[in-house]
Amino acid sequence: MAEVILKNLSKRWGDFVGVDNQSLDIHDKEFLVLLGPSGCGKTTTMRMIAGLEEPTSGEIWIGERQVNDDLPKDRDVAMVFQNYGLYPHMTIFDNIAYPLKVRGTPKAEIRPRVERAAAQVELTQFLDRKPKALSGGQRQRVALARAIVRTPKVFLMDEPLSNLDAKLRVTMRAELKHLSRELKVTTVYVTHDQIEAMTLADRVAVMKHGIIQQLGTPDEIYNDPANLFVAGFIGSPAMNLVRGRIEGGQFLTEDGVKLSPIASEDRSEVVLGVRADDINVHEAGEGDIDAPIYAFENTGEASFLTVEWGDQRVIARGDRHLRKDQDDVVGLSLNPDHLYLFDPNTEKRIRL
Amino acid sequence: MTGKQRKQVWNAVQLTLIMIATFIMLVPIVWIFLAAFKTHVDVYQLKLFFTPTLENFSTVFDDPYRLGEKLFNSTIVALVTVIFAIPIATCAAYSFSRFRLRGETTMLVMILATQFVPAVVIILPFFVMFRDVGLLDTRLGLILVNLAIVMPFAIWMIKGFIDGIPMDTEEAAMVDGSSRLQVIWNIVLPMAAPGLLTAAIFCFIIAWNEFLFALILTNKNAVTLPIGLALFKGEEGDLWNLLSAAGIIIMAPMFVLALLIRKYFVQGMTMGAVR
Amino acid sequence: MRDNTLKYVLVLPAVLVVFATAIWPLMESARLSATVGRLNRPGSLDQYIGLENYTWAFFEEPSFWNSVWVTGVYTLLTVGLTTLLALGLALLLAPGGRLRSGVQTLLILPFAMSPALIGVSFRFMFNPEFGLFDAFFGVVMPPLADVSWLADPTLAFAVCVMADVWGWIPFLTLVLIGGLASIPQDTIEAAQVDGASGWRVFRDITLPQLGPVLAVVIILKSIFSLKTFDQIFMLTNGGPGTATQTLSHYIYFNGMKYGQIGYAASVAWLMVIPMILLTYLYAKYVFRKN
Repeated sequence: MAEVILKNLSKRWGDFVGVDNQSLDIHDKEFLVLLGPSGCGKTTTMRMIAGLEEPTSGEIWIGERQVNDDLPKDRDVAMVFQNYGLYPHMTIFDNIAYPLKVRGTPKAEIRPRVERAAAQVELTQFLDRKPKALSGGQRQRVALARAIVRTPKVFLMDEPLSNLDAKLRVTMRAELKHLSRELKVTTVYVTHDQIEAMTLADRVAVMKHGIIQQLGTPDEIYNDPANLFVAGFIGSPAMNLVRGRIEGGQFLTEDGVKLSPIASEDRSEVVLGVRADDINVHEAGEGDIDAPIYAFENTGEASFLTVEWGDQRVIARGDRHLRKDQDDVVGLSLNPDHLYLFDPNTEKRIRL
Repeated sequence: MTGKQRKQVWNAVQLTLIMIATFIMLVPIVWIFLAAFKTHVDVYQLKLFFTPTLENFSTVFDDPYRLGEKLFNSTIVALVTVIFAIPIATCAAYSFSRFRLRGETTMLVMILATQFVPAVVIILPFFVMFRDVGLLDTRLGLILVNLAIVMPFAIWMIKGFIDGIPMDTEEAAMVDGSSRLQVIWNIVLPMAAPGLLTAAIFCFIIAWNEFLFALILTNKNAVTLPIGLALFKGEEGDLWNLLSAAGIIIMAPMFVLALLIRKYFVQGMTMGAVR
Repeated sequence: MRDNTLKYVLVLPAVLVVFATAIWPLMESARLSATVGRLNRPGSLDQYIGLENYTWAFFEEPSFWNSVWVTGVYTLLTVGLTTLLALGLALLLAPGGRLRSGVQTLLILPFAMSPALIGVSFRFMFNPEFGLFDAFFGVVMPPLADVSWLADPTLAFAVCVMADVWGWIPFLTLVLIGGLASIPQDTIEAAQVDGASGWRVFRDITLPQLGPVLAVVIILKSIFSLKTFDQIFMLTNGGPGTATQTLSHYIYFNGMKYGQIGYAASVAWLMVIPMILLTYLYAKYVFRKN
């Protein structure tokens, strides 16, 4: 049980910057998710914590100890890999037992501990098989069991669910959440999937270009995005971002469509952010603004309308019983309590 | 002709060509095979039907040919060459595969290049040196020079196999608490074992068939099987029945070994340029 | 031990072996090539004469140029014939199926055969009295019926080429089958749907995509053709006269039979030069792949 502290951590390969001077405190027993698109430095950050990658500069602390110079084996961490990293020539039992064996755990102790870990992930009847004979989800469980068979200071999980099919991913996500609440071990979890991040995390760090864009609880990340990137990355569908200006308490799109009253001083360049949920759909003429439908999509649980404001498209969420057709005109109104403004040049949020 | 008929004709043409090619490929081998079971008299006639005899196989092991000694030499030389080459090559291949080394490309190209240097160039200085230190006509001397031809193949081939082992697995073992050497011993070697065996067999075949070094460096005690073929030139010409029997003894074991690893032959010979 | 040290420790033995068994002899050969270098004359291995051996080869030895010519023609013919025939065979065998994969398996046999043994077996096959191929050609081409192949300079050369082509076709075929298998099937299917004939598909789609593999094959075969020794030694021993004396054979004869090791080393080094060029080309393909 320990906290993990990164101080001014950087990783460069020649001119390429993987992680750029980042500092991060991960609390004891916290479940922290590093979230971002591929190439954002999240995996590199985790691999530096594991000791698989050497930082170019900066410090890594696990508990009371600076571990920069420690080999992976001496850091007392456990890791679940994207492709599981199972040992194909060993049985499942030996796979799970390996971290104990190699650390010199007494023989008598190994069997009960492996069996308990296997039971926790429901693998008991597969212990004699080789990884090849297991399905993807089962292999995933072996990787988990191998991590939890010891009590490491930190769990590291590198996109552990990304190789599973969509349905299994949802099941495993719940199991993972259940397990992590039960074990209460500091966990760093890397993913590019925002749903995983939102559902699993105590706190999320959104990364891009080697820099943490925002660190906060899932609620904060969703409801209070710090900049354009976070706003556009979190949420499904992504937040609508409309370029325009503010004149006399009104937001106008780039091509002059008057959209919504907003409590802000005049600005010549601004980006308005609004989630699909916060755009209400009415019949034509009944909202603040009328717009033609570019595409109408019905997902069963909701309907999504892509409409055109000038030459910018936004997506609005309508009732699941709503039926419209392409080129129909609908009325829209924005929920004034959930509008966000961003500076298009600095990409920072403009607080109202 | 309809499209279907044309297709059938074309298929028949293909099959005929394949049969002809196969025939040409097998005839010299089959002919040697048959000759090995022919008597001294039969072999000098173009006979397809004859009374087979095993006599040639016992003759070649008797005086004055004593093929047994050559067989022993070939086995020892090829075996010891492989026993030295594979562990050394495995260490190097692992390092080349997993780490970035200073001058890595240079080293790999050099290793590749040594394979392409004509053997005659390499053997001249070795002949002079072995003459001075008394290694001429010894198995040890042959083993040393055979390492030269086998090592590049072994390094490149094993590197190919190790490249195929996912990095994830090794990293998992490291996080699980293994040192680098434990990773190599517990994870990489068992996983690469089939590849190592393949490389070993491949190198064995190369060392077994090696001709020029043995021709130049041996004359009596360390003579290997391919050189031993020259024994069967009698005063009245080649003793074809005996040559053929010796030929079978040379090639039959290699056929078996080659069939075992045939999937990897191409990769080995091209040093990974073609997989 | 930290990885940074370990990685060099691991390659050290191999580098030493390669150095001792390849780099050192190369350097030592270069040194020998600048000496009088007579095996039977003590001290002559340290008696330096500059480039005299090289100028001797160039200006005083028609037999050197004969070997260059033999090796050159031999290389061109064997590379060309082997590649073409192997490509044809590969195209025939690539579709797979029982028969074809069976034949593919058999292809390994000639390839596992020692080249020396190939030489022996072809001498056997072309024996004027009871050689099978000799008899066959006698029937197909009556003028060749009573010819002793290996006694005729041109025909002996032809036999050497045949033996080489026979021995190498299987390997090249296997490589090319591998190359054909790695061509994405959908590109070929797309061309077929687009209306290309079988020949057009081969010329426009298959051949260009096979290019790199074909290049590797040609370079590799050139290297091995240039080095040819074993078969020639067992088949004709360079004869009749010097009609089939390749450079390797010439070097062997001068160095070992005549004891002129300095001269042999100089010719050997002349042979290394085209090898360096070919290796460079080859390495480019290997590293592009990785």
